[in-house]
Amino acid sequence: MTDQEKDALIEATAGAHREVAPDGTIRWAPAWWDLDDDGRAKAAALATQLRKLEAAMDPDGLSTTARLVLARIRAG
Amino acid sequence: MIDLDTELPAIAAGDADAFARFVAGAETRVRESLASFAVAIDVEAIVQECLLRVWQVAPRVEPDGRSNSLLRFTIRVARNLAVSETRRRRSDSDLTTKLEHQLADDASEPAVPDPLLREVIARCREQLPEKPAQALAARLDGPWRADTEIAATLGMRANTFLQNFGRARRLLAQCLGKHGIDVAKELA
Repeated sequence: MTDQEKDALIEATAGAHREVAPDGTIRWAPAWWDLDDDGRAKAAALATQLRKLEAAMDPDGLSTTARLVLARIRAG
Repeated sequence: MIDLDTELPAIAAGDADAFARFVAGAETRVRESLASFAVAIDVEAIVQECLLRVWQVAPRVEPDGRSNSLLRFTIRVARNLAVSETRRRRSDSDLTTKLEHQLADDASEPAVPDPLLREVIARCREQLPEKPAQALAARLDGPWRADTEIAATLGMRANTFLQNFGRARRLLAQCLGKHGIDVAKELA
């Protein structure tokens, strides 16, 4: 795997979007499975910082994770 | 200190807006409590799963007499989910045992919003080049859409979209640094 490919997987894993399985559980990011331990750790650290920035940008202090979860709750 | 338990009665009564205020203060602490599991689990998926479960069981959560009992409960749910997934998916029993024995941070305090940071980020976003700005805005506007779908909307290939998003966050980090805001190195 090239550095560029690994960076793309880290970037994809650090995003908040996750598919929901038919039983309602949250599916893990497909890109996560292709990362090594170093990449997984970097993706999680990056996600932490991105969520903080997103929350700081949002008038209600909500990250994209929070907005996703709340959308699912409100959709019932 | 902020006590998120003030939201608990409304959350227990099914008020999603109150839960939103709780999540705004709790998410960072919950996520950070899972940092040591990052090589073994998809932390993002576990955080979302945890928050959905806490919403479901919140009516049965009893305050324990100390502040932020719902936050501490949420961190325990997150760690239990993480341990359970680590056990289920990982053959490395040493790691599983080590993670199981790490204690949850019992003194967790909610994150506090920083109005100054919001202002500076807004100024830095205005300086982003067009494509990175589009990629950043699109992910922020539609987190319920997969990256491939967002990329298609923007007329980009998925990899190009991810590269533009990465460029946006690096430029944002540089700009924040110039304004004296020390964002973590992970963004740069």
